[in-house]
Amino acid sequence: MSVAEIFDAVMEYEEEDVAALVQAEIDAGTGVKKILQDGLIAPLDVIGEKFSAGTLFVPEMLMAAEAVQAGLDILRPLLTETGVKPIGTVVLGTVKGDLHDIGKNLVGLLLEGAGFRVIDLGTDVDGEQFISAAQENEADIIALSGLLTTSMPEMEKAVATVQDANTNRNLNVKVMIGGPPVHHEFAMTIGADAYGMDAPAAVEQAREFVTG
Amino acid sequence: MSWTHRERILAALNHEEPDRVPIDFGGAEFTSITLAGYERLKKHMGVTAPTEVMSIIHSAAHPAEEVLHKFGVDTRNVQPGAYKDGPDHWIDDNNYIDMFQVHWQRTEKDVDQHFLHKDGPFHGGKLTIDRVEGFDWPNGANPGFAEGVSERVREIKAKGEHAVCLYLPGGVVHRGYAMRGFESYLKDLYKAPEALQRMMDKLCDFWCDTARVMIEAAGPENVDIIYFGEDLGTQDSCMFDPETIYKDYLKPRHRRMVQTVKDMTNDQAKVCFHCCGSAYQFIPHLIDVGVDALNPVQVTAKNMEPERLKAEFGDRISFWGGINTQHTLPFGTAQEVAEETKRIISILGKGGGYVLNSVHNIQAEVPPENIIAMFETGANHRYQ
Repeated sequence: MSVAEIFDAVMEYEEEDVAALVQAEIDAGTGVKKILQDGLIAPLDVIGEKFSAGTLFVPEMLMAAEAVQAGLDILRPLLTETGVKPIGTVVLGTVKGDLHDIGKNLVGLLLEGAGFRVIDLGTDVDGEQFISAAQENEADIIALSGLLTTSMPEMEKAVATVQDANTNRNLNVKVMIGGPPVHHEFAMTIGADAYGMDAPAAVEQAREFVTG
Repeated sequence: MSWTHRERILAALNHEEPDRVPIDFGGAEFTSITLAGYERLKKHMGVTAPTEVMSIIHSAAHPAEEVLHKFGVDTRNVQPGAYKDGPDHWIDDNNYIDMFQVHWQRTEKDVDQHFLHKDGPFHGGKLTIDRVEGFDWPNGANPGFAEGVSERVREIKAKGEHAVCLYLPGGVVHRGYAMRGFESYLKDLYKAPEALQRMMDKLCDFWCDTARVMIEAAGPENVDIIYFGEDLGTQDSCMFDPETIYKDYLKPRHRRMVQTVKDMTNDQAKVCFHCCGSAYQFIPHLIDVGVDALNPVQVTAKNMEPERLKAEFGDRISFWGGINTQHTLPFGTAQEVAEETKRIISILGKGGGYVLNSVHNIQAEVPPENIIAMFETGANHRYQ
């Protein structure tokens, strides 16, 4: 029995095995940080790399994220008890006028799997709602999603509102955007701090923001 | 020689160059224009004909004959009639339960006002064969689907030699997402593959039955194009593995669907398959099951550059769409749209094998000038 078995169980999408193996490691006295990092986060990173490389696809990503979630459910109380904090807090949502959430949900799952606390505001979210949630939860990052070309102007407005709050209202967050119609150049034009090309890239970017 | 609309499009789909590139607009509910976009276009063109809705769910308009004529459109749409005595009903203006007991909700705050599926009969819990078998499946051969079909075909034939395009709704993936929920459907590929395949078979049976009813009503010899579609791609990749999941689970069903319509029409009808996003890795499989044309050719998705598609597959499949809805059409100038249209025709239309259309329905914010620029460029195009 070892943390490597948890890693393998995530790679094989064995949700129940992951939960049992995480419990077994806890019982054996393995450190929760090690279980989290080597058993749950590490395999999800590998899955993310394969997703970005186009060798694994959405079903595999969902299955792996669900397996990691099963492990996290068991680990979470202990993480709190032992003072292991989330690596950062992300407020996530689809912008105003857009109700599409498939891509956003995938980003949320991967962020949680990577050790972030995720506040998902759902769909049709405006700039002020992002700001309030970020303030309440002392968030590090606001992540905006959108599918429709018609929601791109809304994204621009929301980013401007958040950046204005960063300057004038004592907010201190990074803003990133993602979604099919947007791209790096658009992100830079509207004043976002980053663009996430796909869900794993969004996680990588979020990590860079919180580790500096 | 002078070409009829029908001859023009069929020549192109047989990989020959007709007089000019054939044009589709409104042949199916994913090659048309959103209701909001259509109102703008009508106003700009001075068209006063009342707006006909092609699909309330997709918020797609059925463009008026006057508009189609002005743009030189070669296709004419035939929709199925409404399901008779079925369980489908409206809860209110914004909520609809369809014949598969899927709950569709209007995106009220969205400018397009289209509908997204919110709930379905297999949402939540485990999917089992008993659950699939126990569902009160609608009848694909319901006579309601034939209603109005032969009249519409006669009308098309009487008004001119346009290509008769039958739209067949549903499929085994897209409707499955709605019934089971998107994430659950994809996870069931691993968790409950037998039950999921049973559901796919039910959906496949339904589709084939509807195809028979509609083709019979239209008269098999009158059907030029059959449209259907599934979403297999994402912006940057495939929804699922083309070489395992698609090949094992979906391809055999798609083969049966295409074969059904080919058999019924004595191999005369051309099949246009709609798949958004990066369809690249699925194209060899689609060719193999007998698909004649790929729509909407989302040129901004991964590996969907027109040059690549034409070079690799241009002799075996035609391309239908390709005018950039994510950038040029909404955000470019009319001049840029015209140039982009010329570019796409010169690449995808070389040697035939191309039908001009936007990538999916023209969206609400697309300026009417840009729509006109796209279609005029097509109408003025000449081979040789």
